[in-house]
Amino acid sequence: MATHSNDHLDEAVLMARPEAEIGRLGSRSLVLGGAGVLLALVGFFVSRETFLQSYLVGYIFWLSITLGSLGILMIHHLTGGAWGMVGRRIWEAGTKTLPLMVILFLPIAFNLEGLYAWARPEAAHDPVVQLKVAYLNAPFFYVRAVLFFVIWGGLIYVLNRWSREQDEEPARLIGPKDRRFRLLSGPGLCLLVITVTFMSVDWVMSLDPHFYSTIFGVLMLGGQGLATMAFTILVLSALVRFDPMARVAKPDVFHDLGKLMFAFVMLWAYFNVSQLLIIWSANLPEEIPFYLERLNGPWRWVSTILLLLQFVLPFLFLLSRDLKRNPSAVRWVATVILVMRVVDLVWTIGPVFRHEGSGLHWLDFALVLAIGALWLPLFWRSLAGRPLVPARDPYFKEAMAHVGH
Amino acid sequence: MSASEYPKGDPRAPIPVITPGHSFTSITDKLSDMVLTYNTPLAWVITTAIGFCLLMLLIVALAYLVFTGIGIWGNNAPVGWAFDIINFVWWIGIGHAGTLISAILLLFKQDWRTSINRFAEAMTLFAVACALIFPLFHTGRPWLAWYWLLPYPNTMALWPNFRSPLLWDVFAVGTYGSVSAIFWFTGLIPDLATFRDRAVHPVAKRIYGVLSLGWRGSARHWWRYETAYLLLAGLSTPLVLSVHTVVSFDFAVSVLPGWHATIFPPYFVAGAIFAGFAMVLTLAIPLRALYRLHDVITLRHIENMAKVTLVTGLIVVYGYACEAFFGWYSGSEYERFMLKNRIYYGPYAWSYWALLLCNFVVPQILWIKKFRHNLAIVFTVCMFVNVGMWLERFVIIVTSLHRDFLPSSWDMYYPTFWDFATLAGTIGLFLTLMFVFVRVLPMISIFEVRTLLPEAHPKPQHEEGAHR
Repeated sequence: MATHSNDHLDEAVLMARPEAEIGRLGSRSLVLGGAGVLLALVGFFVSRETFLQSYLVGYIFWLSITLGSLGILMIHHLTGGAWGMVGRRIWEAGTKTLPLMVILFLPIAFNLEGLYAWARPEAAHDPVVQLKVAYLNAPFFYVRAVLFFVIWGGLIYVLNRWSREQDEEPARLIGPKDRRFRLLSGPGLCLLVITVTFMSVDWVMSLDPHFYSTIFGVLMLGGQGLATMAFTILVLSALVRFDPMARVAKPDVFHDLGKLMFAFVMLWAYFNVSQLLIIWSANLPEEIPFYLERLNGPWRWVSTILLLLQFVLPFLFLLSRDLKRNPSAVRWVATVILVMRVVDLVWTIGPVFRHEGSGLHWLDFALVLAIGALWLPLFWRSLAGRPLVPARDPYFKEAMAHVGH
Repeated sequence: MSASEYPKGDPRAPIPVITPGHSFTSITDKLSDMVLTYNTPLAWVITTAIGFCLLMLLIVALAYLVFTGIGIWGNNAPVGWAFDIINFVWWIGIGHAGTLISAILLLFKQDWRTSINRFAEAMTLFAVACALIFPLFHTGRPWLAWYWLLPYPNTMALWPNFRSPLLWDVFAVGTYGSVSAIFWFTGLIPDLATFRDRAVHPVAKRIYGVLSLGWRGSARHWWRYETAYLLLAGLSTPLVLSVHTVVSFDFAVSVLPGWHATIFPPYFVAGAIFAGFAMVLTLAIPLRALYRLHDVITLRHIENMAKVTLVTGLIVVYGYACEAFFGWYSGSEYERFMLKNRIYYGPYAWSYWALLLCNFVVPQILWIKKFRHNLAIVFTVCMFVNVGMWLERFVIIVTSLHRDFLPSSWDMYYPTFWDFATLAGTIGLFLTLMFVFVRVLPMISIFEVRTLLPEAHPKPQHEEGAHR
């Protein structure tokens, strides 16, 4: 490994807050979001039902970046490494959108009957649902939702506060206080995995109360990781054009982040193949309708697109070392992956309701953009509110020493 | 992390990968003298003798099996698969740590792996060998097994069932075994050349010379070698996932409650790594004491391996929790019955609770750094995990089979003496192979450990740190 002096890692430069540049990036994302809001409004009056389904898609999509950021942030605290030092503020800003996600949950909470079959009066005559009524009932659903938000909110609040404290203190040697990130992140990750698993059951899987798959929580976790890695690479490829990110987000760092995204692409495929193969070969009446619906009729081509664009294409492109090291190339792969995350969520949620037509609906994308119009400004504002690089983390210099160029 | 960022003498500073003070020569001397010597430690002789006795038991058990038939095992009508598949999965799982350490940790740039990868890889090969004995002898006539297992154009135009995961097992384990062997041997070549140059006895010199394939250590050799090694690491990485995924399919693609769960593939893989790391620690701790390897296998290694054990153990527990929750949530009568039967209702409920004790309760002790640094505690936890991972397969296989859909066919399963003898025998085979390996080949990769020394990284004075 090349020897390097750390002169370019001057703390004063790294601690700068490029608010103007970030503001410009933020206003650019507003244009798309604004269009989404308008379309969503139209959709609201055209079809309430589809609006609600698409709302759930948009909500779960943005929530997956909020929670994925929390998860990857905690993994970074546990493992260290330059890739995490560079991505850290992006994830911290991502987690700070949680209050918005709490408010945006209310439309779902107030429309349980519109979305969840078990919440409708007919469910009283469904013998299978009756067997699960101890879990699938509105009061317990709300209690769990509150519990999820309290746990996520607690972790997010504490990690962000400690990180701010670290910025305010002058750089120093590693002290007893710096272990606290790690001490919290271990148990924190366990809590996150458990809550996201139950969240995936409550908010997504129970749309069809007959279906169950033990890998569902893992699929949700993997999807969150994939979406967050793609989002991180996309944001970083914009931030890298100016200081201070230009000094730290070297091709080596993009390479590492690209490899992680590559790993998540393969994990996503692995989890999905596992689920498909096991359900397909057992061919049990309580499970197989999930795939009968999705591999036939209007959803067939959506499945094909997912296979090609969320696995085959990113897989082939991300094999290339040069592509992973080039921000302006890898961001296109990240964009495709993010769009495919939306399609994947529609593929998971949509077939419960839509059995004819084209499967994908324009409202799905409109609502992703519309919720993004609220989520992204909050994200950019949080990002601009803190130094972009955690230069005062005592582990920072050591982590960056491993970065060549 | 290098220690440079910590205040001097801070007890929280990470332990270096190699105890400072070693040079290229001292490392090479120390590691090659373990093999190129006439002094065999007494503890080595005793352990190998025990292993060898058990190996003899294996031969007796297998000979009796071949002459009599698999009726000597406790397998019966509902439990048609028991010790044979439990032990197969147990051994295959143990074999996973080797590839993970050598391939995935290499790709993750975890340089501490170099002190442990060689014997972990050897362990993988020996564990795979032990595993293969079970399905092979379960066929009853193992000398005919090739005709049944391998797809080849025969005169009766009969093919094995390509839809059966048992056939995929043949391919998956076959690939895994051969790639692991190539990887292991490739890694050995430079060290074999060192042995060739250092051995005094002419026969030893000759053998090491042939095995080192004409290695001269030229720059060109090294360049090709490093490329090949990295490529092999890339090829081996998917194998870490694929083998136990296919093993999990053996169960999961069926319709039997307790077997049919979509989480099985990742959960089996995590379990395999969990078992594998526990076994690496089980071997590393005594070997480290026996050969006084404290400078090369430091507490840093023990701690890191303990952490991997803890994390993969938690993933396994997540699997148990998902199985239990979704078993209830499914609303299926059979799933719920299986769950009740497994947890408190059935005659084998004790094994589920013993499993939770071994794999869930005991490993939690590894959260505490002080205990991760205590060899006796880490060793004890690993013994629990070794037992726990065996029990896990017992729970999955026997508990699910002994109460199937039809109450009239329910029966209990009792292993016979020969079941235990075969299990103990494979442990003997494993121990024997492992200790013979330690005696005749470099147990720790000499050339890779040398790269961890400060000598290998000439740096400007102001930059400290023992490694990259």
